[in-house]
Amino acid sequence: MTEVFNGQEEKDVFMRAYSSMLLSRMFDKKIVTAQRQGRVGFYTPTIGQEATQVGVSMALNPDDLVYEYYRDVPFMIHRGVPVEVLLDQIMGNSEDSAKGRQMPSHYNAKAQNFMSVQSPVATNLPLAVGAAYAIKHRKENKVVVTTFGDGSTSTPDFHAALNLASVYDLPVIFLCENNQWAISLPVEKQTKVEIWKKAEAYGAYGVKVDGNDFVETFKVAKDAVDRARSGKGPVLIEAVSYRIGPHSTSDDPSKYRSEGITEGSEKDPIVIAEKRLKDLGYITDEIIDKMKSEAKRIVDQKFDEREKIPPPKPESMYDDVYKEMTWIIKEEKGDAL
Amino acid sequence: MSSKQLNMVQAINSTLDYALSKNDSVVLLGEDIGRDGGVFRVTEGLQAKYGSDRVIDTPLVELGIVGMSIGMALNGMKPIPEIQFQDFIFTAFDQLVNQAAKLRYRSGGQFNVPMILRTPYGGGIKGGLYHSQSGEAYFAHTAGLTVISPSNPYDAKGLLMSALEYEDPIIFLEPKKLYRSTKVDVPDEEYKVPIGKASIVREGNDLTIVTYGSMVPVVSGTVEKNKIDAEIIDLRTIMPYDGEAILQSVKKTGRAMIVHEAPRTLGMGAEISAFLAERAIDYLMGPILRVTGPDTPFPYRLEDYYLPNERKIMKAIGKLMEFR
Repeated sequence: MTEVFNGQEEKDVFMRAYSSMLLSRMFDKKIVTAQRQGRVGFYTPTIGQEATQVGVSMALNPDDLVYEYYRDVPFMIHRGVPVEVLLDQIMGNSEDSAKGRQMPSHYNAKAQNFMSVQSPVATNLPLAVGAAYAIKHRKENKVVVTTFGDGSTSTPDFHAALNLASVYDLPVIFLCENNQWAISLPVEKQTKVEIWKKAEAYGAYGVKVDGNDFVETFKVAKDAVDRARSGKGPVLIEAVSYRIGPHSTSDDPSKYRSEGITEGSEKDPIVIAEKRLKDLGYITDEIIDKMKSEAKRIVDQKFDEREKIPPPKPESMYDDVYKEMTWIIKEEKGDAL
Repeated sequence: MSSKQLNMVQAINSTLDYALSKNDSVVLLGEDIGRDGGVFRVTEGLQAKYGSDRVIDTPLVELGIVGMSIGMALNGMKPIPEIQFQDFIFTAFDQLVNQAAKLRYRSGGQFNVPMILRTPYGGGIKGGLYHSQSGEAYFAHTAGLTVISPSNPYDAKGLLMSALEYEDPIIFLEPKKLYRSTKVDVPDEEYKVPIGKASIVREGNDLTIVTYGSMVPVVSGTVEKNKIDAEIIDLRTIMPYDGEAILQSVKKTGRAMIVHEAPRTLGMGAEISAFLAERAIDYLMGPILRVTGPDTPFPYRLEDYYLPNERKIMKAIGKLMEFR
């Protein structure tokens, strides 16, 4: 990696990447456990996709825009979204910037240039194209990354967005986080063609990468971002990882698949990262253990702290539908309170 | 104060021209709107004047046009997408309902979508099933969308001028039957017709007829010709509709009727009828009647039979006037 970083710089960047992956993993485990305990309503675990997201995040500038989906916690943590912001959203408490309106995993992190998260898959992709059009119109030196799973590649929005971004030569990175499962449908039943190859049909640049390895993903993402930023048009990255967890806490994968990559196995992105960092001499088992317990401590502490925050006030339900509350909503609010 | 005789197409075209000239972040996008000037010529000449980066000919993909517009609107631009016919909007319905309409709400007011989606709607041009639909109720039923429909060139300009400063997504429904049907004096200067305010097209005492879009001239013509002392309300904004104006009028006349092209069941007439039933029952002498398109798809050859007309309106007025 000497072509990108000098020695100390690389160590700092890689250690920050690992630290984000670890914090995200601990966060995931905590929320899944809390859901089982009835302390959280729902969650879409990110476990297995940490390297994909952190690898891409490493290639971005802070003012680049991200139009993400509902399984991007590592991405958010790496770009500096405070754990508190994620927890407030998941709990839907009165500190949540969206006032508890969305089910868990639908974050708002505008300060770190993330778009508000939707449920309907791939509907964020055309928005990312419009955002890139605005960037190009104003001659800003930014790129837009938009993320989605393998299932999203079957939607009309995916094809529309890729086509439009190519037609207008826009700086969009389409990051397909291919975790190989769309709830119960395996990727080979989703599409007959490798996802990265679909780029060619639109005149975009397509590339596939091992999304379990944050260094490989970073390299590919860096190249993609450089391409897009220099005006060469959109890139479709297929980052292949594995959804180690269920689709959501409401789902039992044992009904439809046998076990693939498991936590702690050699393909686990955290395990791969640790091996790399040990080989580079940046880290030891002792440091790893210390970092893990520190990440766990942070998550536990913040969780307990945020859990004490009260829910939003009922009257807040009527706000933010329009800039000015309509007479109709005013009346409905008056009738209810 | 200078003005020109303009039809609705010209009034909208000149307002879009004004918007493009005043603000570099305004862009138009849609199918055939640039080189061709739009299939109804509403955007004629604008690409030549402002370039293909601001008057954008798009690929044939409604969900992409709308989705891209939302992304622009989220990033400091003022997109004015055109959907060639409202009948073709449905692949973009997900984008409208789940993105445009909900972004302000789901971000706690951090994001908003100042987009004006223009689209010709309604019948009267022999367009059959897929070039005639009136889908206003679909949009009006979605919290977060604002639905507007002008009935004349003056209002078309004034409403569009207000829409330019509006910060939430607007569905601007242009009654295509009225595009070139009449010319009226349209001031050259800037003026606004407020969003959310109906206009009293004609004052009257015997009954109130609430209508909008292409039915306004049909109702007016019927009332004038038959010398009915009716008060005619043109909603202009379908959602949020001007409940106060309707209520005041019905309290005065004691009789209420709603006329629209769209199918009857769960249309705007149903909403206004329920609105009046809830709060004007003491003032009403008779039932609240609806004269609307039937609950069928829009037929090609039998278009004139489908649409509300003088005969159907007079029949309903006759029935209503029996109640005293």
